Amino acid sequence: MDRRLKRRLESRFADRLAGPIRQRHDETELRIGPGDVPDVMRALHDEPELRFEILADLAGVDTGHAMQVVYHLWAPTTPDWLRVIADGLSRDDPRVPSITFLWKGAEWLEREAYDMFGIIFEGNRDLRRIFMPPDYTSFPLRKDFFLPDDAARSPGAGVRQMERTHVPRDAPATGHIRRTPAG
Amino acid sequence: MTATRQPTDDSARYDIPAHASADDPRVLLEEQIGVYEPVPPFPPRTEREAEFYTVGDGEMLINIGPHHPSTHGVMRIVMKIDGEKVVDLDPVLGYLHRGVEKICENADFHQTITHLDPLEYVSSLFCEWPAVMAYEKLLDVEVPRRAEYIRVLSGELNRISSHALAIGFHALDLGGLTPILYSFIERDEIVEMLAALTGQRMLFNYFRIGGVNGDLNHEFMSRLGDWMSRATTEINANLGLLNENEIFVRRNRGLGTIDTETALRMCWTGPNLRATGLPFDLRRAHPYSVYPELDFDIPTRAEGDSLARYLLRVDEIKQSLRIIDQCLQQMPDGPVMAKLPRLLRPRPGRAWAGIEGPRGEYGVYAVSDGTDQPFRFRIHDPSFLHLQSFNLLIPGNLMADWMAVNASLDPIMGGVDK
Repeated sequence: MDRRLKRRLESRFADRLAGPIRQRHDETELRIGPGDVPDVMRALHDEPELRFEILADLAGVDTGHAMQVVYHLWAPTTPDWLRVIADGLSRDDPRVPSITFLWKGAEWLEREAYDMFGIIFEGNRDLRRIFMPPDYTSFPLRKDFFLPDDAARSPGAGVRQMERTHVPRDAPATGHIRRTPAG
Repeated sequence: MTATRQPTDDSARYDIPAHASADDPRVLLEEQIGVYEPVPPFPPRTEREAEFYTVGDGEMLINIGPHHPSTHGVMRIVMKIDGEKVVDLDPVLGYLHRGVEKICENADFHQTITHLDPLEYVSSLFCEWPAVMAYEKLLDVEVPRRAEYIRVLSGELNRISSHALAIGFHALDLGGLTPILYSFIERDEIVEMLAALTGQRMLFNYFRIGGVNGDLNHEFMSRLGDWMSRATTEINANLGLLNENEIFVRRNRGLGTIDTETALRMCWTGPNLRATGLPFDLRRAHPYSVYPELDFDIPTRAEGDSLARYLLRVDEIKQSLRIIDQCLQQMPDGPVMAKLPRLLRPRPGRAWAGIEGPRGEYGVYAVSDGTDQPFRFRIHDPSFLHLQSFNLLIPGNLMADWMAVNASLDPIMGGVDK
């Protein structure tokens, strides 16, 4: 944990923070609103005392209540990974400015996040599906997209589908089988 | 578009009467085949797509792949060519998309590791590694030092086998059949010894949360010792096939050149970035595991072309051999697994782990919501970002040079498509 980085970020982005700066292990987490992404990322990338020059990852996240875009950055000025979370995108119309003006390589990463979550990156010149076919209509990594065997998802129960209780052959077809585990 | 069929004089060759009517089955066949147009049957969705699929005078669009052997997997490239020269290209991905992230979000923490092996199937250990590291961060687990050493040892072996394959395929894509055979000899030695260690030849499924699946065994050690005693000599002898091959060297020199600044903007990592002169290696830049205790160099090359990327892999193999030597000397005693319950429920939190794989930075971002399944599981793959730079590297070159550039970048489509 790099305390100096935390202080530096707190003083530099005091008015932009959408939550406290958290640190754990070798990670520092900065939470901002989606509108602040271009300014904050440009400052992180350009300013000589920050110099976050490597975009390690860009990921979309669906929390079930809101969408997030999570950036991981690396800089020679700190031993920590920096995680920037653009939080609070609406699930109905998630929009966030693109960062392709800083990292051209983010173009495909943003395409992937669009493909999987439907997040619109404003300013990305090539925002189309990348893995799923072009005529596909849903966004598979959203939390309301269930797999065909998603009956297996039983939060906290720790019982997998194949280990579940035996379903009698004459049981009514429910389609989406949800049963409590035996015992 | 302009890819229309030219009138041919086939009627004489195939003995079709020049005035055959449309009822003639042979004529019907001719008509039905037609020319496959790579243009998508819908209006362009983006600026870039519109620009790409507008074909100028003298240009035409062709498909390469998805089953072309030089794509190192299943990838389609729509190429806009002017004669033999590439004007622009548009890679089409997704032919190997399995939705591993979604599958992992519906599996428990132990099960996810199994799904990661087939991502980059020639460097499976590096796909497992960031995931177990991220989980260990979520769980605050301390990994036993012997386990860390075994991870580094097996990882570096895997790196050598992956690089050996990359080098062999690089030559193969340029038409040299022999080097791949020698590459496979080396790779097979390594794969067999890893099979002795892990029980599997390719999809090892060896790393566990908190350690590794099994301790070093006699067969692995004897195979490894046997191989290490002659590895350097053999690898050098094999490389003589390519280093002194004028066709290989002259075709690769100056091809697909990129500078450090652009490579960073394109999010490059790994050997491809180091071939532009920047010594960025996560083993040193963001030390993990026991790499700080090991002595090795980070080779770089200044040129940033295909040849530099090839030579850099060669240098990395030599450094990996050094690391393996040190691992064997410094290997501590002790357990290889931390004590953990079978059912893992990390406290809610987020963790990111990035490691230096043979192609660049492999990463996993795991979010836990307190259940036994990751709430969000994000896999970062370096080949994905290297592929993206085709538009910078290839236009202006000949069509056949695409294979040289592609092979020097060494993408694995299993990882790209996830």
